[in-house]
Amino acid sequence: MTPRMQRFLVLGLITAGILLAVFFGLRAAFAFREFRRHGGPPFPAPLEAQSDPSAETDVELIREWMTIPYIARMYRVPPEALFEAVGLPRSKSVAEMSLKQLNDAYFPQAEGFVMTTVKAAILKYQAQNPSPPTPPSLPTAPAP
Amino acid sequence: MSDFLLTQIINYGAPVLGLIVFIGALGAPFPGTLLVVAAGAFVRQGLLTWHTAALMALAFVVLGDTLSYGMGYFAREPVLRRFEHSQNWAKAQAAFTRWGGMAVFWTRFLITGIAVPVNLIAGTSGFGLRRFFLYDLVGEAIWIFGYGGLGYLFGMQWEAVSDLLENISGLALGLVLLGLGLWLGIRQWRIVEARKANVPEA
Repeated sequence: MTPRMQRFLVLGLITAGILLAVFFGLRAAFAFREFRRHGGPPFPAPLEAQSDPSAETDVELIREWMTIPYIARMYRVPPEALFEAVGLPRSKSVAEMSLKQLNDAYFPQAEGFVMTTVKAAILKYQAQNPSPPTPPSLPTAPAP
Repeated sequence: MSDFLLTQIINYGAPVLGLIVFIGALGAPFPGTLLVVAAGAFVRQGLLTWHTAALMALAFVVLGDTLSYGMGYFAREPVLRRFEHSQNWAKAQAAFTRWGGMAVFWTRFLITGIAVPVNLIAGTSGFGLRRFFLYDLVGEAIWIFGYGGLGYLFGMQWEAVSDLLENISGLALGLVLLGLGLWLGIRQWRIVEARKANVPEA
């Protein structure tokens, strides 16, 4: 390698390094801020929440890649309620399609229809079936 | 792409996760870190069992890495024919023999963007398969259990965790390139200075 090529290599590495470090450094800082905005880890999670994911109530966490059975499991809603709300049969092929795929296949003219309908159906189900309040923890007996 | 892959994991479980990390280890541009963190969250939701998912992903990713090492190994002959008399090749080979283990280890979970080139270089430069396998296994275990564990720990916040980890990986790659450039630059500058010092003044 000639000295000229070596100089180019060094300059290239330093430039690429600075650009990548600045770009990803800024993105990492924003991602960290976003991460902190969500709050700390849910750890140690209460035992009942660990064994029962029905604690999930925020429908804004639903994404287009999710399938109806997965959402039903996550929000502890009967899948039939969601299939019925969307107006689709509960077949294997429909069950394995993501919300986006369902929308593209069955409701191409109405963008975001499946997502909106599923969210509304969950909220409706949760309003009709509020989860039972957590029993207050029993007072512990004083140590002898 | 990541949306499609996530849908397949929730539909078919650990075997699909294994297949994805296997193909990713062969060089396909799959978002491996995102999927591993997501898999941790799926374990928390009871969709996957942790031991099946983790062991399957680990076995498949190590198999994929070993195959891409093999590709480098079998490309060794033509590469050697082209470069065997090159001093730079000899230096690069010696450097990889010395530092290759660390390169394999860190590119498994931190600087994942250059993992496949490192596998190929390891195979081509004659880095021992047993050493490669050991560093690969430890690094990938950190990737699977560490990142998957974070997904498990943070549950529904896994997207934010994955975003943060991917950006940290890019930052680490930038810092490594910058460090390498500075190291080479300083080395060159010292050589030039030494040459200047050896030239007798007129």
